Amino acid sequence: MEWTGLQPEMVRSELTEIVGDAHVSTDDADRLVYATDWFWLPQMWLDRGEIPRKPDFIVRPKSAEEISAILQVANAYRIPVIPWGGGSGSQGGALPVFGGIVLDTKRMNRIIEIDEKSLTVTAEAGINGKQLEWAVNEKGLMLPHYPASANCATLGGYLAPRGTGTISTKYGKAEDLVLRMQVVLPDGHILRTPIVPQHAAGPDFYRLFLGSEGTFGVITEATMQLDYLPECRLLRAVLFEDLTDAIEAGRQIMTRRLEPFVIRLYDPRSTASRVKKILGYELEGAYMVLGFDGDKDIATLQEEKAMDIINGFGARDLGREPGEAWWNHRYDFYYPPQSLKLPWMYGTTETVTTYDKIEKLYFAEKKAVEEGYKEWDIDFIGHFSHWFHWGVMVYTRFIIRNPPDDAKEAVRLHNRVWNTAMTAVLENGGMVNEHHGVGLKLSRFMRRQYGDAWPLLDRIKKTLDPNGIMNPGKVGFGH
Amino acid sequence: MNTAIGAIENCRFCLMCRHVAPVGHITHNESVTPHGIALVAAMQRQGQLTWNPSTLDVLYAEPDGGNCRAHCVTDQPLPAAIAAIRAEVADDGLAPPEVVRAHDRIAENHSAFGSYEPATKQGEWGLFVGDVGFNLAQETMRAALKLLEACELDVVSVGCGLDSGFIPCSLGYPRTAQAQARLCIEEVQRTGIKKLLVLSPQDLFAFLQMHQERLDIAWPEDVVIIDLVDFLASQVPNLKMIPPAGTAENATAYVDPTHAVRLPRRFDAARTLCEVALGYAPLELFWREDRAHPVGSTAIQFTRPDIGVRLTEARLEDAINRGAQSIVCDDPVTLYELRLRNESNLHIQGLYETLLTQLPPHS
Repeated sequence: MEWTGLQPEMVRSELTEIVGDAHVSTDDADRLVYATDWFWLPQMWLDRGEIPRKPDFIVRPKSAEEISAILQVANAYRIPVIPWGGGSGSQGGALPVFGGIVLDTKRMNRIIEIDEKSLTVTAEAGINGKQLEWAVNEKGLMLPHYPASANCATLGGYLAPRGTGTISTKYGKAEDLVLRMQVVLPDGHILRTPIVPQHAAGPDFYRLFLGSEGTFGVITEATMQLDYLPECRLLRAVLFEDLTDAIEAGRQIMTRRLEPFVIRLYDPRSTASRVKKILGYELEGAYMVLGFDGDKDIATLQEEKAMDIINGFGARDLGREPGEAWWNHRYDFYYPPQSLKLPWMYGTTETVTTYDKIEKLYFAEKKAVEEGYKEWDIDFIGHFSHWFHWGVMVYTRFIIRNPPDDAKEAVRLHNRVWNTAMTAVLENGGMVNEHHGVGLKLSRFMRRQYGDAWPLLDRIKKTLDPNGIMNPGKVGFGH
Repeated sequence: MNTAIGAIENCRFCLMCRHVAPVGHITHNESVTPHGIALVAAMQRQGQLTWNPSTLDVLYAEPDGGNCRAHCVTDQPLPAAIAAIRAEVADDGLAPPEVVRAHDRIAENHSAFGSYEPATKQGEWGLFVGDVGFNLAQETMRAALKLLEACELDVVSVGCGLDSGFIPCSLGYPRTAQAQARLCIEEVQRTGIKKLLVLSPQDLFAFLQMHQERLDIAWPEDVVIIDLVDFLASQVPNLKMIPPAGTAENATAYVDPTHAVRLPRRFDAARTLCEVALGYAPLELFWREDRAHPVGSTAIQFTRPDIGVRLTEARLEDAINRGAQSIVCDDPVTLYELRLRNESNLHIQGLYETLLTQLPPHS
C-alpha cells in the first residue's frame, strides 16, 4: 500500500524543515530495510516473496526538541510514529504496521556525563550498547546490562521493552539500572523524571515508560547505574541428571542470596542440541553454568557455598573450562548460520513466574506444544537464565524445521503455536514475556494477561496519546 | 555464482557486527550496515528490489575495510560477497560512471593515482611501495627505505605506482584485479625477491588474503610476505635509536590504519615503534586496534566519495575528542587521506618519518 500524492509531500516538507533533507528518507532501499525487525513473521513474509508494510518516511532526529516537533507534525496529519533503536527486537515492536514515520534515534548517540562518584552514566537513547560499554570500561566501570543484542541495540532499546541481560541475576534488569529519563510525550511535551527513582515523593510514574515500547512516548536520554568492573569472574559448569533437581538447586542459591551473576540452566533437550552445537560438549542431562564475580575472596566463598548446595543434589562438577567456554562464546548462539534462521519456523516463548509454579508451567507448555504440533515434528527447548529471589525466567523456544512454504499458511501455523504456548503460560501463572517485550507479536495477549487491570492501562494510553499515533498495534494498543 | 555471495544469506539475518560497522556509525542508517546491504542485495536477487539509484547507493556504500568479518564469529566474507555482486552489476552495465572511470584508469595505467614504474634492479629483499606510496606519499616511502638502509638491508623497491588489485576487485572488476595481481607477482619474481616487505596494509591484505580468496591467485611459496611494521619493530634493538627529548606530554595519538583490523598482528608492533618515535606510549583513539575504523581510502573514495570523506573526518574527530594535538600513522594510504581532509590544527605525522629523526647520525 503506497501513500502518494500531495499530502505525503506536505508531510515530507515539514519533516525536512525540522531535521534537514539529509535526515528524511523515502528511498526504496531504506523503506524495505526498515520494514522488518527481528520478528520471525516479517522476515519470513519478505523471504517468501511478499512485501511487508513499509514506512512512508524514515526520519533521523538529532535532539529531543526535533522529536517534539516531529510528533506535533504527526499529530496534525494523524500519522503513526514508530521509534526505532537498533531494530534488533524479536517481537515486531519496531514494525511500521500502519506505515508512517520510522523515527530512527541513532543520531542521538552522545554520552553526556560519566559520574565516577555516583557511578552513573547519562547518555542519549540512540547510543549503541556496546559503544556505551566500551566508553565506561575505559573508566574501570561497566553498565551491567549484557544482552545478546548489545552489539546492535541502543540504550533506548534496552529500556523500552524492559530488557534483561546475561548478568541480570546479580545486577538486575535494564529497568532496575535506570535512575532517570528524558521522554518526549506523544503531544511533543518534553519531560524529565526526578533525579532518583527511589523516594517517597509521590507515585513512581517514570516506570510507565519502561515497557511501553514507544506507545507512551519516546525515551531520548537516560541516566544509568554503573558498577566497577569486577576484580574476578569465576565460572564453572555442572551437570545434573534431573532438571527438577537443577531448578531446586538454583532456587536455593538464589533464596540464600549467594549472588551469582549468572545461572544458566539448559534443559536436557537444549543440552543435547544447542550446547553441543555451539560449545561442542556431548552431555546428557541438564547443563548449568554458574558464575560469581566481584571481590575475589567474596566470590570464591560464594562459589564454595553454591557448590555445597549443588553437590547435595549429586550434580557432576565439570570444572571451570566449560563455564568459561560458555562465557566466552555466549553470544555465538546468535550468529548465522549457528543461530536459528529461515527457512525454519521458530519462536522464543520466554516467560517468568514464581518458584512454586515454574516447573509445572515449563512442563505444561512443553506438553501442549509438543503434543499439539507433533505432525510438524516440533522441537521444544529451553533454558532457565534470569533468576530472582522469588522465581525464575524460562527461555523456551519452539522450532519447526519444515514449515509450510506458503507465507499465509505459515503465518497461521506460527500464530497457532503461539496461542497454544501462551495459553499454557497464562493458565499456569506465567507472564507472556520476561524480557523481549510485547511488540506486535504478543499484543493480542495483553488483555488476557492483565484482565481487570487492562482498562487502566488503556485509559492512560488514550490520555497520553489521544490520536493514537505512537507505535499503533503494539503492546495491546491500537487494535 | 561466486561462492562468497552466499554470505548475504547469513548477513541479512544478522546484526552482530553493528557496533564496529563504520558506515553505519557515520550515517546512522540501517540500510548501509552489513545487515542492510546484505538484505538489499538478497532482495534484489529475489526480485523484490531492482538495481536503481537508491539500491545501488546501498550496494556501493560498503567500504571493504574488513570490520564486519573481523568481528564475525562465523567468518562470513561479506566484503567479498559485495565485491562479487558489484561485478555482476558491472557486467550488466549498471555500475555508476565514477566507478567505471576509476576502473578504466587502473586498467589503462595499472595505477589509480599516477604512473607505474616497474623495478629494474634485482635483490633478495624487496619493499612493495604500491600506488599511493609512490604517487601521493613519497616521503613515507623514502623514510621507509632509509630505515631499512639503517637496518643494513639492500632493498629493491617494487610495485612503484602499481595497484595491488585491491581497488579494482573492490570496485567489482575481478578480471582487472587478477591482471594487477599477476603484475605484482611477475615483478617480484622478475627481480628475484624472496622476502617482500609491504609498506601499506591495503596491499598486505591483498597479498595475504584477497588474491587467493577473491581472485584465485596464489603467491609463489618461496616468497615470504612481511608487514613492514612487524619487521621494523623487530629491528628496534639493532637501530640504536636516540630517544626524543622533551616528550613528557602524551598528546600524540596513533591511528591504526585502514585494514588494520584484518592484520591484528600489527597492533603491538606499531605501538612499539610509536614508543620509540615519540618517547612515550601513544594516546589511544576510541576506534583503535580490533575496532579501528577505516578512512575513506578504500574503493569507497570512488564508489561513494561522500561516505569516504565522512569516514576520514570521523577519524580526525576521534583524535580531537581524545585531546590529541597530533596523530601518527605508518600507512601512506591512510596518511594521505587524513592529510587531504584535515581542516583542524591537528598535526599529522608519518611514523617512519618520525622514526627517521631518531636515528643516530651516520647510521
